[in-house]
Amino acid sequence: MSYWEDIDIGRVFQTGEITVSADDIIDFASNFDPQPYHLDPAIAEQSIFGGHCASGWQICALMMRLLVDTMNRDGVRSVGSAAVESLRWHRPVFADDTLHAQITVTGHKASSGYSRYGLIDCAIEVANQSGDKVISLTTDMLVERGEVAADE
Amino acid sequence: MSEPEQFFRSRWFEDIPVGEFHVFGNHTFGEKEIIDFGRAYAPYPMHTDFDAARDSLHQGLVASGWHVCAVWMRLMVTYMERYATGVRDGRRNGAGIGFRNMKWLKPVRPGHNLTYTYEIIEKPDKVIRGKWGIIRSRNEAYNQNGELVFTFEIDILAERRPDS
Repeated sequence: MSYWEDIDIGRVFQTGEITVSADDIIDFASNFDPQPYHLDPAIAEQSIFGGHCASGWQICALMMRLLVDTMNRDGVRSVGSAAVESLRWHRPVFADDTLHAQITVTGHKASSGYSRYGLIDCAIEVANQSGDKVISLTTDMLVERGEVAADE
Repeated sequence: MSEPEQFFRSRWFEDIPVGEFHVFGNHTFGEKEIIDFGRAYAPYPMHTDFDAARDSLHQGLVASGWHVCAVWMRLMVTYMERYATGVRDGRRNGAGIGFRNMKWLKPVRPGHNLTYTYEIIEKPDKVIRGKWGIIRSRNEAYNQNGELVFTFEIDILAERRPDS
């Protein structure tokens, strides 16, 4: 198990991969972003995106899935984040694209709100199968503290 | 093919005034949808399991922050379709290009009702790829007790009037 104290600045996590199918894109869009270029591949060809692409919020959600799976894989006691300082959408994610992410730890600080947790600053980049950057963001992630957890 | 009138519709960049404020929708978060979203995208116990969530950060089941974002999008799309006036070619709104200062300030639990608002706060003086302007808005969501639970600022492209 890795607690907040164990996560060094400069550490880089390489996530696994997720492939996004046309059905995944349509399912998410039907619930949350029902615009034609997400719902209908034929219409999407003529849209500003030039193809059937995922909602930008689905890309964020997929980034989260990659992150959570990676923290679980590596035994990091993370519980997510309460803030995103900034995020950019660089290019669309099209049906059948495969995404992966790189998470770089850039800082380490106490959390004012939670005594059991500390914060790590992260720079995250999500790229597609060609290595092209899809989104990038900076966020801080809450990670359980070892010494507090041990006292309980 | 019925594509033109299905496109999302909006106004020219020049016609969107700074200071414009909208209460654009509200949503009650159900337990099942919180768990469905959590299982798919943020599989922490606090988002996926009513009982296990009691021992987690917020002492109970809460919606993923990205779920709160996704509902923002859903309400925004619905609102914009209603608000649009007669634009048929779908070329006046573009993609979101990014956001900043996103904060999830309070937990969103099953049964909570969030009211979403946005205010146009800035139109940066930039032309993107010859035809797009940037509309910056501050977006907020308040719960049923009037508490601010979610806030961020997003940049979205809007097409500039061709003769401007």
